[in-house]
Amino acid sequence: MISTLQKTIRHLKAVRVLHKPAVEVLKHPAPEDTVTASFGRFISEMKPQHLSPVVLQRSKRMVLDSIGVGLIGSTTDVFELALQHCQTHSMDFDDTWHPATHPSGAVLPAVLALSDMMPAHNKPSGLDFLLAFNVGIEIQGRLMRFSNEAHNIPKRFHPPSVVGTMGSAAACARLLSLDASRCSHALAIAASLAGAPMANAATQSKPLHIGNASRLGLEAALLASRGLQASPLVLDAVAGVAGFNAFYEDYVPQPLESPSDGGHMFLLEEQDMGFKRFPAHLGMHWVADAAASVHKVLVGVDPGTVSPAQVQDILLRVPQSKYINRPFPESEHEARHSFQFNACSALLDGEVTMQSFTPAAMSRPDLLSLLRRVRVEHPHDNPANFNRMYGEVQVTLVGGDILKGRCDTFYGHWRNPLTNESLRKKFRNNAEVVLPSEKVEMLVDVVEELDGLGDCRVLLSQLQ
Amino acid sequence: MLRKGITESFGAAIHALNTTQLTDGVINRSKRMMLDTLGVGLLGTRTAVFNKALTYSQLFTCEERSSVWGKSEMNLPPHYTAFVNGIAVHSMDFDDTWHPATHPSGAVLPALLALAETLPSRPSGLDLLLAFNVGIEVQGRLMRFSREAYNIPERFHPPSVVGVMGSAAASAKLLGLSPAQCSHALAIAASSAGAPLANAATQTKPLHIGNAARRGLEAAQLAQIGLEGNPAILDMHHGFGVYYKDYSPSAMAASGAFKWILEEQDVAFKRIPAHLGMHWVVDAALAARAKLQNTIGSFDLSQIRRVTLRVPPSKYVNCPLPVTEHQARHSFQFNACSALLDDKVSVASFSEAHISRPALRELLSKVKVETPPDNQPSFDKMYCEVEIETEQGHSHAARCDTFYGHWRKPLSQRHLVEKFSVNASSVLCTEGVEGVVEVIGNIERVTECSVLALYLRMTSNPQEELHCVNIQ
Repeated sequence: MISTLQKTIRHLKAVRVLHKPAVEVLKHPAPEDTVTASFGRFISEMKPQHLSPVVLQRSKRMVLDSIGVGLIGSTTDVFELALQHCQTHSMDFDDTWHPATHPSGAVLPAVLALSDMMPAHNKPSGLDFLLAFNVGIEIQGRLMRFSNEAHNIPKRFHPPSVVGTMGSAAACARLLSLDASRCSHALAIAASLAGAPMANAATQSKPLHIGNASRLGLEAALLASRGLQASPLVLDAVAGVAGFNAFYEDYVPQPLESPSDGGHMFLLEEQDMGFKRFPAHLGMHWVADAAASVHKVLVGVDPGTVSPAQVQDILLRVPQSKYINRPFPESEHEARHSFQFNACSALLDGEVTMQSFTPAAMSRPDLLSLLRRVRVEHPHDNPANFNRMYGEVQVTLVGGDILKGRCDTFYGHWRNPLTNESLRKKFRNNAEVVLPSEKVEMLVDVVEELDGLGDCRVLLSQLQ
Repeated sequence: MLRKGITESFGAAIHALNTTQLTDGVINRSKRMMLDTLGVGLLGTRTAVFNKALTYSQLFTCEERSSVWGKSEMNLPPHYTAFVNGIAVHSMDFDDTWHPATHPSGAVLPALLALAETLPSRPSGLDLLLAFNVGIEVQGRLMRFSREAYNIPERFHPPSVVGVMGSAAASAKLLGLSPAQCSHALAIAASSAGAPLANAATQTKPLHIGNAARRGLEAAQLAQIGLEGNPAILDMHHGFGVYYKDYSPSAMAASGAFKWILEEQDVAFKRIPAHLGMHWVVDAALAARAKLQNTIGSFDLSQIRRVTLRVPPSKYVNCPLPVTEHQARHSFQFNACSALLDDKVSVASFSEAHISRPALRELLSKVKVETPPDNQPSFDKMYCEVEIETEQGHSHAARCDTFYGHWRKPLSQRHLVEKFSVNASSVLCTEGVEGVVEVIGNIERVTECSVLALYLRMTSNPQEELHCVNIQ
């Protein structure tokens, strides 16, 4: 009892003015045995020592990648239009997980912003920062495992808008050292801020889904820290009154065990992150790699560039997914969500890069010729699932020869992760558009040493 | 399934609707809605949830500022003004309700007033009235796209679904956006819609309206600077259709045969700060109580053996032993027993002291709830029956089909103004109260609608305000 009180007081000291006095905390009844309460406890009890070396390593890679894509994202139109925290998802260049979502973009900006907000004498250490970040990722992963629907390419709600908001709330609640009850309420408040329709994916609004997830999760945690309360059953499935399950057709929640019991393994340890090599929907990477292998053969056969005149027909065998099936994309956003466009770009150029999505590149006559020759098939054995899908590109040449390329696992997928070198190269390419190279190198070092930093302000100052 | 042109038609209509199309009927009804909304909002500025939101919102600063209602000197960035004032409106579940069910005004008026104060064009009262009605109309149209919307909700809280769309439409109207921008405002707003019902009957529920107001305004402003969403957002099942199990949208005309939904379907105004369903059960309980009183003379609780409520099935307002004020506002049982105990249900009935009274708890333990198959969970069709059984074995029952305040039995103008005055007087001085009544009463002739803000800040006790604000 006394040690609980001491623990409580320690937490309160960390949060200062944002907390009610200890006496009131003790007055509240112990949490019930609900899934929601278990999540609240989990967040509040998570400590730096629970982070394994693998999780530390993987999450630092995520932090670096996210900062890079965020920096380059700040050069986009949508960033100009919207608020600063939209930049991470503006080019669809950020990390992707399985089940599908873009976890880091929803969490990192909020954790950075909150760290910046905290008083100078109480700035979180690099390890506190990483802990909060990992809590935010973990909660997203756990929530997605509550439904089968989450395991397939989404049809209704855009996943970052659903779980991203919850992850951000969890991360911020952790950084604020809220007690278990307030952590639960943070999640519940966040649930009312979650959920955006898929129809806005592949539009200029899509990046706002991540920006809002980040900002609103932070808001939920701040409101919870001031005592706002919401449903204590938001994650549990209550018949007739939907909670978080409003966003899913099937939903079976599971409680989270307390990390203090020992034996908790972060999902990131079991399931690594996918990093993109070019700024487009994850599905594009399969067809790009498949088409690139055909390009190599074509160029080998007839050195020089690939000419549409050689090509009679292009057949793509891809999973069925309406919002990435676009024969003639008209905007850069649509191009990033088009199997056809990415396959043809890779066929023509040997790879898809950031430059592939410029207006000039998109309107090339050669590219348009190729696009006109594309057919799409959806084989039964090719599910709309990032863990099991493949991409096949079959090019029939004018002479009658057929060239086939197939990609089961693109380079950058969690089964075939980017090397640290490749990841840093991507980071440098992105960051150097915006920051001078000395700062870029400093950032690489700071993130590498993040868990050793006494004060995460070092990271913050490099970003400005 | 992709249908063409529905979103486009909405954008065109929002842009094209003009003041000449406002009929007397619609003007009359919408002015009543505005007055009621301001009254419940003012009262709501003294609630705990409002204060928490206010404290949070004070983190933010901005060059543009708008007036917080019920505070003599408080301004916030317009989005946060819309947020906190919207929360105030819904803080006690005292605001208007429509059919299909939503609370239409609280999502729209706070956004419009916050915006109006910052516009260099200084919109008139008529501009405000038009924009308000556009916001209401769009909500009404959207709810008619699904059968699900006609029943008491189970998944998403309706104001969080259609409210933000109404706010976006109204704000786009006041900003004078082009038809395309109006469509994009709706698309952007759709990504901010949808809060789960589980947060109703909690302290977070009012934020659904506050956020609807704020995020709709934000959507319109983002559209104004050129942000785009899906131009067919309303047409698609995986667009706005994601919030409904069945979804069948149709286009909106702006001229010719255009008729305001509000003209055909009025709103209900509440006499009690509780979920609309409670009004039926309270009226029935009061009537049953009167019958009991007429029969046996003085009313003695101990003579009650059982109270049976016959109500429509609705999990989120079926709460046998509420603990918080929010639960009490969403409890057939609580409201029936309060009516039986006190012979009335009012603002005061929901205080912690009242909720925890032993006599009330005892009566609550005698309540049984039945959900007859003919009692549909729809605000247009439901009824409530209260049957009191005494120890002697006698039964006294009464039924309410249409409570006073329902759209079938609207509050008289006198009672509406009375409700406003009682609410507003808790916060404003007499000059402020009368000023608001006057301005709203003549809104179509007012040159600058932001004059309202002046009256909404005429508090009666500046010292009391300060105390409220300092709560941490």
